[in-house]
Amino acid sequence: MLIQSSKIISFFVIISFFLHPLMLNPLFAQEESNEYAQTHSESETDEEFDGEEFDDGFEDEFESGDEEIFDPLSGYNSVMTEFNDGFYIFVLDPVARGYEWVMPDLAQRGVKNFFHNLLFPIRFVNNALQLKPINAGEELFRFVLNSTVGIFGLWDPAKEWFGLEAHEEDFGQTLGYYGIGGGFHIVLPFLGPSNLRDMFSLYPDMQIDPVYYFDNRPYNFPKMEGEYLGMSRQSLQQTNLLMLKTVNQESLRIGQYENLKKDAIELYPFLRDVYEQNRAKLIEE
Amino acid sequence: MQVHQKNITGRIVVILLILFFTSSNLFADEVSEIRTMTKEKVDIVINILKDKSLSKDEKKEGILETIDGLFDFNLMARLSLGKKHWKSLTKEKRKEFSNLFVERLKLSYLEKLDLYTDEEVIVDEARLTKKKRVEVLTYLVTKDDKKEMIYKLYKTKKKGWMVYDVDVLGVSIVQTYRSQFSGVLKKETMEQLMERMRSSGDLGA
Repeated sequence: MLIQSSKIISFFVIISFFLHPLMLNPLFAQEESNEYAQTHSESETDEEFDGEEFDDGFEDEFESGDEEIFDPLSGYNSVMTEFNDGFYIFVLDPVARGYEWVMPDLAQRGVKNFFHNLLFPIRFVNNALQLKPINAGEELFRFVLNSTVGIFGLWDPAKEWFGLEAHEEDFGQTLGYYGIGGGFHIVLPFLGPSNLRDMFSLYPDMQIDPVYYFDNRPYNFPKMEGEYLGMSRQSLQQTNLLMLKTVNQESLRIGQYENLKKDAIELYPFLRDVYEQNRAKLIEE
Repeated sequence: MQVHQKNITGRIVVILLILFFTSSNLFADEVSEIRTMTKEKVDIVINILKDKSLSKDEKKEGILETIDGLFDFNLMARLSLGKKHWKSLTKEKRKEFSNLFVERLKLSYLEKLDLYTDEEVIVDEARLTKKKRVEVLTYLVTKDDKKEMIYKLYKTKKKGWMVYDVDVLGVSIVQTYRSQFSGVLKKETMEQLMERMRSSGDLGA
């Protein structure tokens, strides 16, 4: 009896041993049905230009691009894209290049780290809202370490010493995490591509962005009285900070936008597509 | 006797189980080979970029030579145009479109390399996504950030594994061209599109 059962067990083990690679290995699975398709995607033959059928599964991996994208603001968006493009090319880029020329690399990275560190509350809150306690904890650790040892966040010891990278999350991603779609696309002045969801998400994030709490105490900036350019002193100082932040950021990626743009056939639909694909990826993470 | 029998059976089962699990590595080996191959090619490109003794043209030539065997450019052209439009073309037009597209793609790739300074490329894991498709995860690392790039490969019959798409920060090159071509072809004819591709290297963008 025992001999019998052990034989049966051995039999199945042997059988499964031989079948196993075939079952688990997708390379072997459906090898035959793919034969035909393969000949169509082979290089250096004329066949690939002959094919009428596309049963090699590639088509399913991409969206057809034929479906109408709901884009009620497309007219405005195209114009605003041109405006932003012009602003970038003629104002921001030259300024950033000048800044890059003047500033040492170390200072540029310091300024970048400083502003990045300040945005800790946004990352922390949104990681927590997306139920990512480990990421939120790491953010907290990063903030404490970088603000103290890293001298107000100018330096990033959390990454250098502990290999802990920031976990970028914003409120738009949080909403996306809970299944809220982007809605139609909106190009914002200066800020660039966005959509309904991400545009409204700017507001809650702003509420916890320390730059917007920047106080107009006299020791923060040289003393200025009253209004200037129609702005209160506080908002002027905020604008200054924002400008420094933006120019510094751009100075670290000079040439990248121009380079990206070269893949565009038409600028607005291209940038819209790039933005939406990138956001989908960020939300998925 | 019974005990002895048990022992033998037990041993056989253990041995077979070991074989059973190691056999699945047959495939894991192939995936890791793809990773190694991708890493080799990437390293060659990086070395060419870093080589100060080469002129700009020599660099471009060397890089194109390296990636030619890795990228299935013609397939990328077909996928970028999409099934519907591809089918509507004659064989000659398909070839012409492919050539125009591939030229453009190579040019755009080389121009991106002009921005190269001191980046390192980390080739992370390769993973099987479905039959005959493998994704190789890589990171482009600079002093202050890390960009994710995914090479998508498929198994060809004659030339081994080749790249048919690249995702940069979640943005697929093929998908982006697909949306654009289909957008343009809603307003213009194929002839007009190809005329634009012929006359300007950058399609008037």
